[in-house]
Amino acid sequence: MNTFTAALWTETLKARRSLVPLLTAIGFSLAAVVDGLFMIILKDPEAAKQMGLISTKAQLMAGVADWPTFFNILGQAVAVGGAIVFAVITAWVFGREFSDRTVKEWLALPASRSTIMSAKFVVVAAWTMGLSLWVFGLGLFIGRLVNIPGWSLDLLRSSSVDVLGAAVLTILLLPFVALAASLGRGYLPAFGWAILTVAFAQIAAVMGWGDWFPWAVPALFSGAAGPRAGLLGAHSYLVVFGACVLSLMATYLWWQKADQTR
Amino acid sequence: MKYVIETNQLSKSFGPVQAVNGLNLRVGAGEIYGFLGLNGAGKTTTIRMLLGMIAPSVGSVRVLNQAVGPNGRGPWARVGHLVESPAAYPDLSTRENLEIARRLHGLTDANVVSRVIEQLSLTPYADRKAGTLSMGNLQRLGLARALLHRPELLILDEPANGLDPAGVVEIRELLAGLAREGVTILMSSHILTEVDRLATRIGIIHQGRLIEELDAATMEELRAQRLLVQARDLPAAQAALTAAGYSVEKERASQALVLKDARAIEAPEEVATVLVGAGTPPTHLAVEQENLEEHFLRLTGVLQ
Repeated sequence: MNTFTAALWTETLKARRSLVPLLTAIGFSLAAVVDGLFMIILKDPEAAKQMGLISTKAQLMAGVADWPTFFNILGQAVAVGGAIVFAVITAWVFGREFSDRTVKEWLALPASRSTIMSAKFVVVAAWTMGLSLWVFGLGLFIGRLVNIPGWSLDLLRSSSVDVLGAAVLTILLLPFVALAASLGRGYLPAFGWAILTVAFAQIAAVMGWGDWFPWAVPALFSGAAGPRAGLLGAHSYLVVFGACVLSLMATYLWWQKADQTR
Repeated sequence: MKYVIETNQLSKSFGPVQAVNGLNLRVGAGEIYGFLGLNGAGKTTTIRMLLGMIAPSVGSVRVLNQAVGPNGRGPWARVGHLVESPAAYPDLSTRENLEIARRLHGLTDANVVSRVIEQLSLTPYADRKAGTLSMGNLQRLGLARALLHRPELLILDEPANGLDPAGVVEIRELLAGLAREGVTILMSSHILTEVDRLATRIGIIHQGRLIEELDAATMEELRAQRLLVQARDLPAAQAALTAAGYSVEKERASQALVLKDARAIEAPEEVATVLVGAGTPPTHLAVEQENLEEHFLRLTGVLQ
């Protein structure tokens, strides 16, 4: 067994033994469940009027109960909810070593720090992508259950790209969360970072330069503000990719150079 | 001579704080080196630099003839370590925590985990989550992780921390046994008597500087001896001994007279004769040796 496989086994075991996978799965599943609830409300406007706030919100966000609307809401939920839930996962994977004070146990081992970092990133990527696929699958099941019109295979194909593409773009920005957890030596700075980027993404999108702001790109890609062709360009994907590479390099460099006093 | 641990002018500052200052440490193969210092003296910073966890501001570290760092480089397959309070993944069992260490060390023999669990008397806790372990058993788990890969060098920060008296004796015997097998041990401890009983050489660090190194023979030589005298009429006894030319101090704690002159220590029977002659025979007369703790406290300025 090489050291990377060993590190990957280690990170997987730590995740399996924790409640965090279950809790994040439940939390993220709400995206599909609430989406289905909106569709039920929208299907019956009379019942919607009697339901107060949630009905008003559903009217504001959607409009009609059909598959295109359902996928559109799911895409937005994955992009914005993913930015928070995926950040929680990343903050836990990297920040727990400081909170549990276990970081010092793997700084002087035959398995290098880079190897352990790489295993952590692979686990984060697999975990968050797995969650995205789960929520998309759950969405399909709930959509079928609610029995809304407008289904087609073409729509499934394009919506898969919207929802899962938004998830991939969100995942590409997670190394920044890992960097924040490392620099801040714990969960909290990483959570703070995630909330800050979600807030700034909203501002950037409203001000019209969301296509240049990496953290606004996933939501714009999902179709939250209309067809992405008019909102994003090649430069938008480049800034996301560039931010990913930059934050990965910074995280690896920090782990090589920083004094570990905890 | 090749040293197992060798530092040259090792220094570390954190902003204006000079944690370690010009440390030249040499530990030979097979030694048990006791590293003593008050809290904040620089012990843990030194240990972290030895393990490549902290980069020195100045100076260098060689461990097992290999330069340590940058980038965490070092002969870690041959080194076991325990730094500060032990830590383990709380959701994982004792066995799983050790299994992680086994895999990250690249050990192919899965039986080493069971062996070390038995060696550290952790069998009843093998399948218990580490988060539920007592401080003492967590310390045993930390030691088990350090010993798992049968290292040539053990770097242990406060190895007896959290252990009950029986555990302290057990670990002392374990470490002594490992040393007999040729394992080199560097251990820091605040339990000075532990270091005193185990170490073949001691380094005393104070305010980041190595202020004294003692081998076993020097330790014996350097320890101050004193003659402790008790009598029913202590003032009369003090007056008689002073009149006989002895330098006498009164120790409040033990209600005894203390004589440090070589004349008194080498010939306590003469002291007894003086006291009997003065009509205040001694009720207790004993040559005592200052223990390492007192020597250490005196060196670091805690005792005057």
